[in-house]
Amino acid sequence: MLEPVISNIQDWPIARIARHQDEIIEDVSEESLNQIIHLTQQSKSIRDLIAQAVYLEKIRLKDDPWDVDPEDESEFWAKVKKRLSSYDPILTDKNEVQKIENDLLKLIIKRYTEEIIGNFDPKLYWFAQQTLPIFFGRLLSASSGGIKSIFKPKMALKDRLFITGPIEKIRQLSTKGTVILVPTHFSNLDSIIIGYGMTTIGLPAFQYGAGLNLFNSRILGYFMGNLGAYKLDRRKKNLIYIETLKAYSRINVYKGAHTIFFPGGTRSRAGSIEKDLKLGLVGTVIEAQRMHFEKEANDNAHKIFILPLTVSYHFVLEASSLISEHLKRTGKEQFIIADDPFQSARAIFKFFWELFSASSDITLSFSEPMDIFGNQVDDEGNSIDKFGNKIDIKSYFSRNGVIAKDSQREQVYTKMLGDIILKKFMTANTVYSSHMVAFVAFEILKKKFNETDIFTILRLTEEDREIPWDDFVFTCNRVRDELYQLNNHNKVKLAPHMTLEMEDIIEHGIRNVGLYHTLSPIYRTKEGNISSEDLKLLYFYHNRLEGYGLQKCI
Amino acid sequence: MDYKNVSNKTPVGVIGAGSFGTAVANLLAENNPVILYSRRADRANEINKTKTSSGQSLHPRIIATNDIEYICKECFLIFPSVPSQGFREMLREFAPFLRPDHILIHTTKGLDVNLKTSDNILDKTISFEPSEIMTMSQVILQETNVKRIGCMSGPNLAKELAQHQPAATVIASHFDEVISEARNAIKSPRFQVYASHDIFGVELAGVLKNTMAIAAGILNGMGYGQNTMAFMLSRGVREMIVIGTALGADKSAFLGLAGIGDLFATASSPLSRNYTVGYRLAQGESLDYIISTSSEVAEGLKTVNICNHISHQLKLDTPIIKTAYSILFEEMELSEALSYLMNYKSSKDVDYV
Repeated sequence: MLEPVISNIQDWPIARIARHQDEIIEDVSEESLNQIIHLTQQSKSIRDLIAQAVYLEKIRLKDDPWDVDPEDESEFWAKVKKRLSSYDPILTDKNEVQKIENDLLKLIIKRYTEEIIGNFDPKLYWFAQQTLPIFFGRLLSASSGGIKSIFKPKMALKDRLFITGPIEKIRQLSTKGTVILVPTHFSNLDSIIIGYGMTTIGLPAFQYGAGLNLFNSRILGYFMGNLGAYKLDRRKKNLIYIETLKAYSRINVYKGAHTIFFPGGTRSRAGSIEKDLKLGLVGTVIEAQRMHFEKEANDNAHKIFILPLTVSYHFVLEASSLISEHLKRTGKEQFIIADDPFQSARAIFKFFWELFSASSDITLSFSEPMDIFGNQVDDEGNSIDKFGNKIDIKSYFSRNGVIAKDSQREQVYTKMLGDIILKKFMTANTVYSSHMVAFVAFEILKKKFNETDIFTILRLTEEDREIPWDDFVFTCNRVRDELYQLNNHNKVKLAPHMTLEMEDIIEHGIRNVGLYHTLSPIYRTKEGNISSEDLKLLYFYHNRLEGYGLQKCI
Repeated sequence: MDYKNVSNKTPVGVIGAGSFGTAVANLLAENNPVILYSRRADRANEINKTKTSSGQSLHPRIIATNDIEYICKECFLIFPSVPSQGFREMLREFAPFLRPDHILIHTTKGLDVNLKTSDNILDKTISFEPSEIMTMSQVILQETNVKRIGCMSGPNLAKELAQHQPAATVIASHFDEVISEARNAIKSPRFQVYASHDIFGVELAGVLKNTMAIAAGILNGMGYGQNTMAFMLSRGVREMIVIGTALGADKSAFLGLAGIGDLFATASSPLSRNYTVGYRLAQGESLDYIISTSSEVAEGLKTVNICNHISHQLKLDTPIIKTAYSILFEEMELSEALSYLMNYKSSKDVDYV
């Protein structure tokens, strides 16, 4: 556990910002309003926009209501609708129409902002920080040393959590600018693990967007809502909501809130590292950086740093439901969606139990921090170009020497940043034994049946699934050699256990990937061969090593 | 010599004083002062003295230089116009002087490949993965700090541009501002500009059409007429799309000015270098002799070699490319080549839209 970079929680950026919530609401309202008015000048009228929001919100309320929705939701939208139909936009005086519509827009934006906004309560944070490690420690000791050990904690989560990367630099940069952490996303537990990891290395709390559905639980909602989470509602797809959310994010990042964005949007359904990013909120980071340069066009302008993070697990709590959903999306076959186990406290408990009781572990692998254009930064936060020289990035926002907003340009920069993040995810990925055995087993089956159609492989009979042990070891060796090569070229990272003897690696991998699941994705048969009880899960874990060109070793 | 003597507007830069670079400089000079970079000092002096470059008279608003720092300092909009073979090297020389606020719009219709076995792209034993092939805009991104990049491509034969004949081009870039800067700089009553956001597609279209221009030259050189030519060109467009999409491009660019448009121009014109290579070959000259007696590089030769390699690796159905490769690099007899194409399995006419 490293010393906190800023010892007094009250001085953390997130706490500082939380003390001025009224200001945030005001700023968000003003910015969203201006942005929406700007957008409506180009296409739709404000009236159409509000009407569309009313329509979509009514459908949402009917088709997909949640506990967390306020009681007066229907009433509110009915009121908006009534007001909208209370005047004739053609016959009414133009100024009057504008006033009515702007007022309505303000009302909706305010409601959304108040829903989205997160809080940070330093006292609650302190409490959680003191108690959670004890809870985890006890759980850990009990699971590895028998239930009695619950009272004699010997181990800690940190013993299972490996954090790699330029930690000292990250700590320093967190005091020099705003850090935007962009992690891969495999499990809902990511937030807890990452949050814990960040505390371990002494960073102040980060704000992050949490799905509004997680706030259906009041207790969980209370903790999250007061520990830096703001709320995202994926059901709300109307432009007013989207723009309010973006303005909220942009203003917070601008004001210096260290933030976590899961750029994949949701958990990786296929189990693969993200290949396509949802960049809406990441784009607000580019805008916030430009706003700093506009305000202060010298070298003292506040900098924003991007910090990609790849999380490696041996097993993923929700693997089964995620892969089923992925397969359903890719079509061809109807899979029954299993309940998302994250809803069940028992399942979460089991996950941690298995995690601690076995020699399983989690790696948080940080990439080098970079500026929003992917340039490396030095310890002082200066951008360094590929030739090793300092580079002045503010002129990426200028034209004819003037720094100015250009939304289209910034969209392209966002896409470029997304591409860089994807590459970093791949190179910072730490390969575990479990990933390798799952990859090799599935690829051997694919090659054996000469199939490119995944669904055919998933339907293989038990007999057909069997892979002779010698073949399996041979291919694992080839794949590992290639992984070594990739590692030498800094294209991937390897867990320390990947240097063991091959048979030990395989044994380690099989043991760990099967830990949590009732049906083993991969196991050794009585005859000593390799097989699988659950090909969907095998496929899920296999996908983790997609994109490295390892197929040629099969 | 200083552009400030002729105008107080910000000058536009052109890198490369070959025939196309010079034509581009002349087009730009109708709207702006232009600084034309030539690598050799004596050549730059000669251009300034004679007011001609690559056989074209220069607009009075153009000055030539061989000072990299000067052109980079004075111009924020620059058109690199050098062959793909020297493109990366040129960028490495320019990189220290290129800033984040520069806009680069290249006009090069060639590819960059990291060769492992040989320095010579015309070597038959080249080996590379399709993912290692880069377009010029990707090379710019890799070698410099410039992000605002575009390309200019279309049926723009240098000699016709020099004769002030009306023409049109495509400026492609992900950035609207790059397109509008370039359009403002180069559009004129004799030069129309169309826009595209699909820079990769436009680059590939311009690159791939060169292979078909060589094939067209061969056919004309063999004395065949319009039926044969139309047959080859329509099937050629299909092959361009097959290779382009295999490399990840969208189809649409191939159907526009940079694809079909440019193909029309180069496939029937003795003004095209690529067409001329094919034509001379069919007339009985050897490839070595043609290369040694050409003043400028025919990008298509390298592209045929690369495309054949990609087609082989990705198992693409591209009989024209394969035949062109065999003629150029394996000394296949022309009659044999034609017979191969005429007996090739016929398939659906349009299978690419």
